[in-house]
Amino acid sequence: MALAAALGITTVAALAFDESKYPDWKGAWRRMAFPGIAGQPSYDPTRRGGDAQGAPLTPEYRAIFEANLKDQAAGGQGTDPTYTCLSPGMPRVMTTFDPFEIVVTPQMTNFLIQHIHDSRRIFTDGRNWPKEIVPTFVGYSIGRWIDTDGDGRYDVLEIETRGLKGPRSFDPAGIPLHADNQSIFKERVYSDKADPNILYDEITTIDNALTRPWTATKKYARLPVKQPEWSEIVCHEGNGHVEIGKEGYFMSGDGHLMPAKKDQAPPALRYFKQR
Amino acid sequence: MKRRHPHRAKRLAATPETGILPFKIAPAEKNIGRPKGRIALRHRDWIATIVLTAAASCAPTIATRAFDDTIYPALNGQWTRASVPGATGQPSFDPAKPPGRGQQAPLTPEYQAKFEANLADRGASGLADVISTTCVAPGMPMMMQAYAPMQITVLPETTYILIDHVHESHRRIFTDGRTWPKAAQPTFTGYSVGRWIDEDGDGRYDVLEAETRHFKGPRLFDSSGIPLHEDDETVVKERIYLDKADKNLLHDEITVIDHALTRSWTVTKNYRRTLDPQADWPEYICNEKNPFVRLGGETYKVSPDGYLMPLRDNQPPPDSRYFTQPKK
Repeated sequence: MALAAALGITTVAALAFDESKYPDWKGAWRRMAFPGIAGQPSYDPTRRGGDAQGAPLTPEYRAIFEANLKDQAAGGQGTDPTYTCLSPGMPRVMTTFDPFEIVVTPQMTNFLIQHIHDSRRIFTDGRNWPKEIVPTFVGYSIGRWIDTDGDGRYDVLEIETRGLKGPRSFDPAGIPLHADNQSIFKERVYSDKADPNILYDEITTIDNALTRPWTATKKYARLPVKQPEWSEIVCHEGNGHVEIGKEGYFMSGDGHLMPAKKDQAPPALRYFKQR
Repeated sequence: MKRRHPHRAKRLAATPETGILPFKIAPAEKNIGRPKGRIALRHRDWIATIVLTAAASCAPTIATRAFDDTIYPALNGQWTRASVPGATGQPSFDPAKPPGRGQQAPLTPEYQAKFEANLADRGASGLADVISTTCVAPGMPMMMQAYAPMQITVLPETTYILIDHVHESHRRIFTDGRTWPKAAQPTFTGYSVGRWIDEDGDGRYDVLEAETRHFKGPRLFDSSGIPLHEDDETVVKERIYLDKADKNLLHDEITVIDHALTRSWTVTKNYRRTLDPQADWPEYICNEKNPFVRLGGETYKVSPDGYLMPLRDNQPPPDSRYFTQPKK
């Protein structure tokens, strides 16, 4: 009976999704702050944002970054497009501003990140890179599970991401990625060996705006909540930024257009009969 | 009418508390004798699995954490809205009826008037609907039009429905046995609690019943502008199931209970499974496709050459009271 049952088990087990082979990444994860690091979170969370990141930019992209800083000081946004609710894209979506969820199945891992448009799909079904990829802000990601310690359980999710569109920047200060959108991201996502409620995402960016690959490790903590409340962030709801043509403006509290910079002119009204 | 095996547990759902087995054996079942069909095999499988695994590895917990996805319908994957023969234009809440007034929405007189005003505004401006022009989430029930491919992922505690259109909408239908929270943050997609039903008693679930509450607005039934009540006290009840004759056809029977309606309104939406396992998942960035701007209560358009344009005849330009510099 045991043997017959065992034969039956083989069939059933072959169809079952054995969750125990995968790390337990259920629940809500929140970005961890590092002591002494204040202000907007950046690509490398162990350093302050902007210039303090020490981004290994080429001279050309260093100049673009400097221009972004200057424009932001004057009330503009530089080349950072997220103020109009364009996705931050990779790698910036992995900064995460609200608790996010990781949904693991054998064929795919979803990162459900509510922010602007930040969620990702990591395909782990053994597929090859497609001949053509429709570019997206978060890119096309193929992953594979690794059992690094040979205990029969996966512990690392390795990911490679290509097929990007832009513009994208590393952080709100406007550290730019290259306009050619040839970025490649390589990640290793894994739990802390001593504390399974801490998760790391070691991201290496290969991009033509950089003089060398740039690696940073993000750190997240699992919230000790059995039934997390999942936020819904709708970027356009209450977004006070308005873009008309290439100019950015503000929306006042009473719904009228306002300048974003000193001495900024209102938009041209060439198509209006009444002026 | 739902058929339920008289001896089956009312709800078979893995819970974090029971967590170990993918289903819970109700006390009544143990006294009746051998359950039918696949349940019997599964019980023996589990017992034998535990014995053999314990003998082999002294790790009985390994097998006990497997998620037996065979007891759930095969919903995982990509689904697209099924086409309706003869239907043209934007899809409607009830796919079986013509759009707009043809939907015969059971609206109260007050909300019928709001709908007529929406239709008039649409006629004057040519806009599909105000919500989409502002890139605010369509919410429930409109998101179930599935203007973009829909991902469904079934896990024991939660069924995920993900649709990226206008907004990256994440629906979570919690099937972990939870009760309704005392308070929940209102959202466009709402808060959904569900349970799996085995209607034909074959040991496999075939229907996901879901109830959704805790909404925010404004929301519409569809792009013709049929409004839901501004009190956002909508309740949406669903029965989601595969077609018995065609496992690549999915039905979502949606019943909306809302104060804009004189009675509850039930429709059935249908979706087709995408058979290509490597199908595209398009990224929808609303602002990239949206030329509309809402200023001072008026909606305008930004021309391809980057200038503000009126949407209707004699529409005044936006107020420039906050600008010190002259107009260009």
